[in-house]
Amino acid sequence: MSGKRYHTKGINVIEVNSARDAHARTVHARLPVNQQPQQQQQDFTREQLPIPSRSVYPRPSATTPRHICNNPNNPPCARCGTTIIPSPRATLPLEDCPSVTIDNWTISTRKRPILNSQEFENWESNKLKGLTLPEMIFGNNYVRVENTRDNWTLEFNALDALKHVKLEDSGIRVAYSQKWIDSKQEKHRKNLPEGASFDIEESSLKIAHHYDWTYTTKYKGTESGTSRLQRDDEAKLPIDKLSRPDNILFYDDMILFEDELADNGISMLNVKIRVMDERLLILSRFFLRVDDVLIRVIDTRVCIEFQENKVLREFKEHEGAYKDIILRHRSSHSHDPKAALRDSNWVVQNTPLVSRQCESLAF
Amino acid sequence: MSMELDKCLENLYQGKLLPEAVVRALCFKLKEMLIRESNVVHIQTPVTVVGDIHGQFHDLLEIFQIGGPVPDTNYLFLGDYVDRGLYSVETIVLLVVLKLRYPHRIHLLRGNHESRQITQSYGFYTECLNKYGENSKVWHYLTDFFDYLVLCCIIDDEIFCVHGGLSPNVQTIDQIKIIDRFREIPHDGAMADLVWSDPEESNTENGNHREEFYRESSQHFQVSPRGAGYTFGRCVVEKFLHTNSMSRIYRAHQLCNEGFQVYFNGLVTTVWSAPNYCYRCGNKASILELYGKDDFYFNVFEEAPENKLLNENAQANVTNNKILNDYFDSGDELSENGSTDMDIFSDAYQAKSASSRRVEYFL
Repeated sequence: MSGKRYHTKGINVIEVNSARDAHARTVHARLPVNQQPQQQQQDFTREQLPIPSRSVYPRPSATTPRHICNNPNNPPCARCGTTIIPSPRATLPLEDCPSVTIDNWTISTRKRPILNSQEFENWESNKLKGLTLPEMIFGNNYVRVENTRDNWTLEFNALDALKHVKLEDSGIRVAYSQKWIDSKQEKHRKNLPEGASFDIEESSLKIAHHYDWTYTTKYKGTESGTSRLQRDDEAKLPIDKLSRPDNILFYDDMILFEDELADNGISMLNVKIRVMDERLLILSRFFLRVDDVLIRVIDTRVCIEFQENKVLREFKEHEGAYKDIILRHRSSHSHDPKAALRDSNWVVQNTPLVSRQCESLAF
Repeated sequence: MSMELDKCLENLYQGKLLPEAVVRALCFKLKEMLIRESNVVHIQTPVTVVGDIHGQFHDLLEIFQIGGPVPDTNYLFLGDYVDRGLYSVETIVLLVVLKLRYPHRIHLLRGNHESRQITQSYGFYTECLNKYGENSKVWHYLTDFFDYLVLCCIIDDEIFCVHGGLSPNVQTIDQIKIIDRFREIPHDGAMADLVWSDPEESNTENGNHREEFYRESSQHFQVSPRGAGYTFGRCVVEKFLHTNSMSRIYRAHQLCNEGFQVYFNGLVTTVWSAPNYCYRCGNKASILELYGKDDFYFNVFEEAPENKLLNENAQANVTNNKILNDYFDSGDELSENGSTDMDIFSDAYQAKSASSRRVEYFL
């Protein structure tokens, strides 16, 4: 480029525009190729579209999508019906706070890196005192659904989830625990008569600090507002409607916390959300695998019907012995049975259901 | 021999896999070399200490960029080369060849993941089957060689380096030297503790009860609430260092968000070298450059840019590694496209990455 363009003072319009262009291209490129905006959709700009009044609820139709994207950094949906898929990891200086509004419902998510050591220390010594924290905490992540008309919010975040972890003995031990303790006691008995000053005392063979090291949490999301979900076990998720391949307007998938249990398995809380024109579904899944001991999956599903202003929350606990579940797999694939145990969908289908609860709320 | 090794290195640096027969021969040669080494290797500064890599091959290449290539820089790796990341095979085979080619320039310690049992649960076994076929023996060759890796390293006669930490069965270095290390990592005893145990820092500003607990805990090894494995406190470390007239301990084994973590006023330091761990944590990593006893520098870095595309693919294909393997395994295609030189900020690159991202109709 020649220097001639740049001898005026201040920021050159061309530079600003090209920067905008570059940014728009980056944002566009996030869309799957087959869903990139068509020519006709590029003809109008988002800013010019009138915002529909929130007091009317027109039936959704192909021509007038009714959701509104709340963040200019969202991939350019422009109410064109294309899916918003937030970038997998937010990077500086651009922070993604993708959000979408349908009628009186606003859905937003945030994805950040794991807590830094300062935040981590603060959680450990203040917010969650007494709990040895899991290794990876995505403490700044959340999935939030807000009813702006009736002032009701449901949010999924790591801090509230970890507050549900018990500060007492879980009763669960790793597979080789007994063998390990026995061998220590054996050694200790042998050493005692010689009067050797050994660092290990009888008392230290007891576990000094108890907390649920599996991080099992029955967290169902954080509810706030004047109304509350009410127990309604008869209610059922509209599986038929949710199974329809309705266009997904907004999709996100994030981890809230994860721990590898010192390589004895895995404990993880994951939240997914998909928003369609008429309803949304959230799946918050706690997945626990203690190798050679047990498998536990706790699913919370939230379905919101926008038209009817109805919320349904289903809570399911699955649990089974490790050996029973791996046996179900051995019969079919013998080469790498443990691979299936890393797939929570396969696991949940093969783990017995222990309990189910349902709650509902209508505005 | 060295010419053949250079040829291997050339391929490995490009991310190509070596044929199974070559891997077998390399493992055999390296076992021959390692069987003559003591459990505790003595080396001198200058040396760069590297923590967990976990199959993040591109980050390993980044380390050689940042810290200098072998043999210009001396390296000490603290273990955990495999599992979790998607390129464990490439990572460990590259390190094997480097060790054979420059035996005095690079030293490899054993981590808890260098084990048959652990690698079956955390991905290395699956990766070997995916990359070499279900009937290949690559995993057997590599895990057999793991049995020969040394356990500890002492730098300048006063800095103790190990993967995990201390053991109640180890008071002197000589007690490490008499361990029979040529075996699978056992569940208990000195060898297990060296690769498994963690430091536990006391936190005295908390309440009295807690203070008492920590004063107690710093004296002894504590049993983890999992029912097996130790944590060690400050007094344990001071005693060990005094007995063996050493000044400090460097170890790996635990994720730290800033790349390194200092315990007990610097008596113990964790070095972590896997940035954006598991392609989703967003953490930093570091390598420790030691120039003399008290002259050192933590070189902190973030994930290699090449990971970006791969990561996003990985997120879309957590249960299906096919695309990744296609991308990476076909070495010819890789060099044809010149993917190694690809500009990750280009539209083409972004679009390619976005096209593989997808939504899931989860229920």
